[in-house]
Amino acid sequence: MAQGDLRDEFNKALSDAVVNMDEDAARETAQKVIEEGLSAYDAIMNGLAAGMEIVGELYDTHEYFVPELLLCADALYAGLDILKPHIKPEEVGTSAKGQVVIGTVQGDVHDIGKNIIKMMFEVAGFTVHDLGRDVPLEQFVEEQMKTDSDIVALSAMMTTTMMGMKKVVEMIKARNPHVAIMLGGAPVTKDVTELFGADGYADSAGNAVQEAIKMVSRLREMQGGTK
Amino acid sequence: MITMTPKERIAKLFTREPIDTMPVFSGQGMVTMDAIRKMGIRFPQVHTSAAYMAGSAMTTAELFGFDAAVVPYDMCTVPEALGRGASLYEQAEEVLYPTVPSKWQTLDEVEIDPDFMTKARMPVVDEAIRMLKASSEGRLALGTWVLGPFTMAGQLVELDVLLKGAKKHKEKLEGFLSQMTELVIEVARHYQDLGVDYLSIREMGSGTDIISPRMWRTFVMENLTKIFSSLYSPTILHICGATDMIIEMMSETGADALSVDQKNDVVESRKKLGDSVLILGNFNPYETLVEMDASQVEGVIKKCIDEGVDAVWPGCDIWPEARKENVEAFVRTVRDYGEKPSPAVGRIAARERFVS
Repeated sequence: MAQGDLRDEFNKALSDAVVNMDEDAARETAQKVIEEGLSAYDAIMNGLAAGMEIVGELYDTHEYFVPELLLCADALYAGLDILKPHIKPEEVGTSAKGQVVIGTVQGDVHDIGKNIIKMMFEVAGFTVHDLGRDVPLEQFVEEQMKTDSDIVALSAMMTTTMMGMKKVVEMIKARNPHVAIMLGGAPVTKDVTELFGADGYADSAGNAVQEAIKMVSRLREMQGGTK
Repeated sequence: MITMTPKERIAKLFTREPIDTMPVFSGQGMVTMDAIRKMGIRFPQVHTSAAYMAGSAMTTAELFGFDAAVVPYDMCTVPEALGRGASLYEQAEEVLYPTVPSKWQTLDEVEIDPDFMTKARMPVVDEAIRMLKASSEGRLALGTWVLGPFTMAGQLVELDVLLKGAKKHKEKLEGFLSQMTELVIEVARHYQDLGVDYLSIREMGSGTDIISPRMWRTFVMENLTKIFSSLYSPTILHICGATDMIIEMMSETGADALSVDQKNDVVESRKKLGDSVLILGNFNPYETLVEMDASQVEGVIKKCIDEGVDAVWPGCDIWPEARKENVEAFVRTVRDYGEKPSPAVGRIAARERFVS
């Protein structure tokens, strides 16, 4: 089989493994990609991430719900763990060398949406500094300064903790207005994002996938990747 | 024309008998910082002292003319009593509700202490209920709530373990949820025995923005049905988030009333359920009482009534930093615009009001 056909076959198998929540299939196919000497980066972006894109659509159309999202994410990670060490730096390009600080704000221990966004950043090649959950507000600012990260992603599941995000946005923007800030969580709306002075938002786990996918898609377009 | 006491009004609402006007109350936290500041205390203190918990609930009700007082405020009392701890954020400047710091990592680790009802802050809540009952002198209604079994499970075990378990270890999860159901019944019956006037089961983690309707039927419905058949009336089932796809199943659980948030299409729900089912809801409390200009509140409340709720309930806890003028507009609009009958509850004729 020509290498192009093999690549397409593996990418489809990886995408299907993610959509079908099949960790074993993701692992086995990822291993074959490496054995055949194909591009690990291509397999991540056009196999695993493409599968997650379909999962996001299935969530939007109420065919998949959060349990399915979590199991699809497990399958993605199963493949990603094998492929990631084999990514060639020149394939990733400059656009994906960014760093992101991510965490759920103080008072909130819900981290499913945060973990899905984290995964998509990892897929896209970002270095992720995950502060976990129930994170004191100042810690986001300190970590951004320490790592000089381009993006800070804040998550809050509850209205009662969402207000903390505003403070973080203010503190970070005051020090470095160029840091992109993404807000996520059920109570977050476009209006809240604008009011708080942040740059992007996702209001559900599915939406988080979509937002992250948009980012990954832009990256793929920039690098001329095809599905 | 106000002719009933708040307690009578709420009791009759739940039995769908005619009332004088729509009561102003909720099945969830209604404490405000206005009340807490008036008492000269801080937000973290209301969770650990029965006097402060009861006092802040009563002071809020009196400040704004609510028909009921509701305790407790946070969702960690049971998890804490089961040894999972509670982060109270005592040093935080902003309002932060307590959270559970250390959930069980797997279902196998779960161990339910048979004496949990006497542990941690459980006696504080008991005492607050007793104090409220004494101080309301039978005038105000007294409400409380317990998390539903699915949501309680998510407070005790990592949520992703629970949600993945629904797909991977169905029988094991069902067994755990049955255990949670017994625990919820024990707590809820205890509060009813202490004399609360109404009780909400908050199964907030089970909306269809999280689990599918099929999963809801499998893991949630049967347990809720068992709970409502084990409790006295009146009971309310509250679910926030997406409920349009499960509203009919919610109604089949046997709760006396259903409480939904702003994501529910009440007009459609009313069509599905008919006029005899009590629907409570469904405004966004943060947007309406904190963000909005007070002049816009009336429109939001009227819309809820026009769409067919039987009492205007906030979709979640009233955010403690609610603006005074907004809460006042909420109360005023419910009283005035709620004079007309709602789908499930009639109104006492004007003549009868004068007689009584």
